[in-house]
Amino acid sequence: MSSGLILVLLVASAFVAAHFAFERLGKRFLIVSGAEYLALGILLGPQVSGIFTPALLDSLAAFPALALGWMGAIIGMRFYLPELIRIPGFTYRIALSESLLTVAVVFALEALAFMWLFDISLLLATPPALALAAIAVSSSRETYEIVSRHLGEGAFVTQLDISTAINAFVAVLTFGWLLAAFHANPTGAVRPLTSTEWLVLSAGIGLIGGALFHLFLGREDNIDRLFVALAGVLILVSGAAAYLGLSPLLAALFFGIMLVNTSRNRIEIAAALTRVERPLYFVLLIFAGATWQPSLRAWVAPVLLFVFARAAAKIGAARIGARMERSLPLLGPNWGRALLGQGGVAIALGIDYLQQDHFAFAHVVFTAVVASVLLTDMSSARLAKSVFAAIPESGGGK
Amino acid sequence: MRRALILALLLGGVALILPLGSGARAPYALLTLGFLMLAAYTVAEIATAAKLPRVVGYLLAGIVFGPSLANIVTVEASVTLAPVTSLAISLIAFLAGAELRWSEVRDRIGGILKILTSELALTLVLVFSVLVAMREFVPFLQGTSWTETVAFSLLFATIAIVHSPAVTLAILSETKARGPLARTVLGTVLISDVAVVLAFSLALAIAQAIAPPAGFGAAVTAGTVAWELLGAIVVGAALGGAVSLYLRFVRKELFLFALLVTFLGAEVARMLHVEVLLTLLTAGFVTENLSSEKLGFALRHAMERAADPVFVVFFALAGASIRLEGLTQMWMFVIPLVLVRAGGIRFGCAIGARWAKLPDAERRHVWTGLVAQAGVAIGLAAVVAEVYPVRGAALSTLFLAVMAVNQLLGPILFKRGLAAAGELQPATARPNPETVPAEAPAT
Repeated sequence: MSSGLILVLLVASAFVAAHFAFERLGKRFLIVSGAEYLALGILLGPQVSGIFTPALLDSLAAFPALALGWMGAIIGMRFYLPELIRIPGFTYRIALSESLLTVAVVFALEALAFMWLFDISLLLATPPALALAAIAVSSSRETYEIVSRHLGEGAFVTQLDISTAINAFVAVLTFGWLLAAFHANPTGAVRPLTSTEWLVLSAGIGLIGGALFHLFLGREDNIDRLFVALAGVLILVSGAAAYLGLSPLLAALFFGIMLVNTSRNRIEIAAALTRVERPLYFVLLIFAGATWQPSLRAWVAPVLLFVFARAAAKIGAARIGARMERSLPLLGPNWGRALLGQGGVAIALGIDYLQQDHFAFAHVVFTAVVASVLLTDMSSARLAKSVFAAIPESGGGK
Repeated sequence: MRRALILALLLGGVALILPLGSGARAPYALLTLGFLMLAAYTVAEIATAAKLPRVVGYLLAGIVFGPSLANIVTVEASVTLAPVTSLAISLIAFLAGAELRWSEVRDRIGGILKILTSELALTLVLVFSVLVAMREFVPFLQGTSWTETVAFSLLFATIAIVHSPAVTLAILSETKARGPLARTVLGTVLISDVAVVLAFSLALAIAQAIAPPAGFGAAVTAGTVAWELLGAIVVGAALGGAVSLYLRFVRKELFLFALLVTFLGAEVARMLHVEVLLTLLTAGFVTENLSSEKLGFALRHAMERAADPVFVVFFALAGASIRLEGLTQMWMFVIPLVLVRAGGIRFGCAIGARWAKLPDAERRHVWTGLVAQAGVAIGLAAVVAEVYPVRGAALSTLFLAVMAVNQLLGPILFKRGLAAAGELQPATARPNPETVPAEAPAT
């Protein structure tokens, strides 16, 4: 089958999924769809049917890079400062302490596990452990969307909104730093670049992209021109970051932040970006499934550890964060369950790690992501119900 | 100043990034795609300020940043970006088909066929005659026997009569011209595509009979041609029927749907070995004529929205494929051939329009829309190069040089023609895309 036709089929399946599976199942039965697309990718991939050959996946490699950039921009668009400053400071402190504690706990446990299981140094164990820590902190927004649909506004919903945004920010930043710190030296450069320089370059790509967008758009408000500018700059930003071996997610995150805070058309831009968010997520899931190579010998312990360590860290860190800010009565002791869902950002980070040729244990990391996403997707209905029961505002906690 | 700053930022950014990169193919193609979209759009703005069509700006950007000059868009990147070109051609064909309503075709078909017959015949004869007259000098005819001269000249002349639906549609999309001249040119260009494919198949069969290729050339049988054309109509009609059903019952996400339809149509056509352009053209035509005017408009608008960035990249890549070296080496053949072709089109159109008793404005300016060349012609030249590896390759090189000039000259002439016929709307009179409903409400 030709790569073009496969791409069409991919997008078509994602399109159908977005509109029928997600819309109907998600709204009526509180089920977050996605696992079936991961399974579809596994079935179509080289491991099972071989319809997607490795060469074919390689020929479509630019597409995931663009999807990563697109997701990064969507995350960045959530940081609209004039709205964020209206939210009380403790909400951010809770979200940030939960995120950092999760990163620290998962990194420490995974680093120890890698060192013990594979008999390697801390230096070698750091990239997969830190990648898993970054992935662990990310949380899906689906639970937030379901909860906010049923509860409307309130302290719990605001906390969930901010926590998922900060989770995504910390996850992408941690992962971006990992790629910068362990970057392979370029052959064409005069001297090796430091990790700080790579990080600055990541941010620079996003910010220059933002500047280009404004220059390009000028004073025009024409929606077609806005779309050309948005698509062109996002493709450029994603391509530049991927070409440099940096994270398209991080570069595009900065681009998104700049855009939402400086553009008059932020609502139109956000609408254009989020319109294809769900189909893109499902395409990424199919890619993820097809790219997955399970390693029976090595994956069980780190993957199981990841799933359990993440759950424990998320719930524990959320509780600690809320207690430190004296917000436990408001949020409930188990409010961290609402952050257990893993979605697009986790898959995106997993694919990003997989695309870095020089990192070890890529498939172990990826297996952990796949397992976590499958598990949280399948238990999403139960999770959402238990979150409802635990929310003091809903009366379920009384 | 703003445009210069954009180009400086883009060039500076790329110059900074390239030495630090890994050289990986897919990310480089993505980087090139983004660069090309923004750079070509900016150059097109400069072209517009100089009263030139945007298409010319895109083409010039491709030439400047392509392998002939700056080499930011490398040959490898162009190959990796081939799906964009394929998508663009499909989108153009679908849109072109969707522009035609049956009632309008019925009213104009007589005039269009008369123009087409005289224009194609005169141009073919003139180009053929010039090549035969210059046979001692033209690279791919030097040292050939008379039968070979006739065969290769006939093949060249058949490819030379091809027009460019892409340029026509891009100019109409840019200028929003919808007058009689615009409609006649569009109809002529679209129908000529079918006629030219038939004529080329016939010319290739004659050439293979009188100058058999060495070894095993790609044999073109009547059955193959019939399937390519009739199969395309059948597949296109089925696709168009499916699209109109979607429009009637679903009507959601037309933008994404438009992109999928064109991609899917092109892939299915390739799989079934039918003519891609004709398949999408038929699909567009069937969709437009089976759907209500409101739904047809909604889909067309969604497609035009998708087409804008795709057009930019398509024409910029077309510009990047122009080899300036070939043009500078062969200018002494290129100039006469361009002039003779343009003369053939002009006088052929004049005769045909008089025969069809068309109004004065159309009679005088219809030729301006037929000078541009691209798309199908490149494919046909590649077929000749495949069948006759040595002479065909030389023929293809000269043809591409001629086409490069026509590609740049054609849009300028057509825009002037539309202006002279009074069919260019002032910018303020054009509908604002923002106010046009992107999608029909779902029921």
